[in-house]
Amino acid sequence: MSHRKHVTIDIGDGAAIPRKRDIGLFSAWWLAFIGAIAIIVYLCSVSPEPYLRILKFIPDGVLVTFEVTVLSILLSLVLGLITGLGRLSKNRAFNLIASTYVEVVRGIPLLVQLFYIYYALGRLEIFSNLPPLAAAVIAMGICYGAYMGEVFRAGIEAIDKGQTEAARSLGFDSRQTMFLVILPQAWRTILPPVGNEFIALLKDSSLVSILAVADLLRRGREFASESFYYFEAYTMVALVYLVITLVLSKAVSHMEARLHYYDRD
Amino acid sequence: MLKRFVMALCAVALMAGAAQARTIHFASDATWPPMEMLDAEKNVVGFCPEVVRAMAKAGGFEADIKSTAWDGIFAGLAAGKYDVIASSVSITEERKRAMDFSDPYFEVKQGVVVRAGSDIKSFADLSGKTVGAQIGTSGYFTAKKAEGATPKSYDEVGLAIEDLFNGRLDAVICDDAVAADFALTNPNYSGKLALAFLIVPEKPEYLGFAVKKGNREVIEILNASLKAVRESGEYDRIFKKWFPTN
Repeated sequence: MSHRKHVTIDIGDGAAIPRKRDIGLFSAWWLAFIGAIAIIVYLCSVSPEPYLRILKFIPDGVLVTFEVTVLSILLSLVLGLITGLGRLSKNRAFNLIASTYVEVVRGIPLLVQLFYIYYALGRLEIFSNLPPLAAAVIAMGICYGAYMGEVFRAGIEAIDKGQTEAARSLGFDSRQTMFLVILPQAWRTILPPVGNEFIALLKDSSLVSILAVADLLRRGREFASESFYYFEAYTMVALVYLVITLVLSKAVSHMEARLHYYDRD
Repeated sequence: MLKRFVMALCAVALMAGAAQARTIHFASDATWPPMEMLDAEKNVVGFCPEVVRAMAKAGGFEADIKSTAWDGIFAGLAAGKYDVIASSVSITEERKRAMDFSDPYFEVKQGVVVRAGSDIKSFADLSGKTVGAQIGTSGYFTAKKAEGATPKSYDEVGLAIEDLFNGRLDAVICDDAVAADFALTNPNYSGKLALAFLIVPEKPEYLGFAVKKGNREVIEILNASLKAVRESGEYDRIFKKWFPTN
């Protein structure tokens, strides 16, 4: 990161444009992050009963939340890439399947999809042994795959047509053009919205607690339902979610900064 | 003209208020057959709502029973969203610290529901098994006490039963009357699920009506009307209606 500080002005073909520095976002992030950590530390030290007890009760829930999120993201990226390519494909059948998938999945709330895949399909012999975690990952991966597909499509469409023409005239076939020329460039445009989807997915992973998956939210609810410390438990759960998403958003913006290093804004 | 109209409205409102008996708001998680559930017309019905309605008649108050999700039902009471929880709430020491209870209106045991033909016959057999129950119920507390078992908490007991039916759970623990209803009389499950055994508690477990801490006024109304319903024989009639085998 240190090298970035020296580069304040990019000199290119056009006029010199001062590099944008996101001071506002930077300080808002630190304010939220340090604030959240400080409140957690303060609550735990001032009244360890119940706050510290809650904090000790939920770590395995945090792990499950991470597990669901990471696996769902991987699945949704694969589905998103396939769908994005399908939506741009000249192959009619492929295109139609991808478009229908997006339309159907976007029209059904995630919570309903979770119920459907776990409880409704669970009635069928082949799905009845599907563990809740797998059902959660499949439902969330399928749901976010549709949104990712649109992100990929938009990112690919944003690349100048000349790039395709140049690649094709250099003798690349259409697959090589897509994977070696277009996608590496499109990734820069795609990354910021994909980062947003990651964070949205992490937050939506709280919905999987409906499948009796012991995630962060369910751990908090179990604590609250037995101790009646509703206010305290949900305060702590909210703060822990906040810290996790803040760390994730920082990681995403870090990746963005690296990808845009050579860009002129 | 307007003034006269407003005054007339006020008078009507006053008269209506005076004529109307006091309304007590009850919250019930109506997913717990046959204790409390929704009928086809979305009315809260079952053993407990019927007792409550009989109590209202005897005690001279209006009973407004609202179906409320279990998760948060206690938080809603503390927040004053309703006066009473009438939802098969077991009277426990932990709960007594957070709320007040009426006199008991029912004795429960915990029932263990399994798939038909299961080899689970006793509490010790639950070791190594996955046991489901509704979050924050005495069934779930019991499941957590089972040594070597993996407890899983569900939002509704019906979802746990469905998971048991689909083969993802080995047992479900809930109030005995509810367990018997799912295992024996529910057309979707009867023959496929079985009531394995009842867990006999160290000391008897009773259901009570929960009110906000310190709400003596409502407690007194509830206790007096419950007593009247018991003494008139109405309680026994309702009991026989919902639990014909006992």
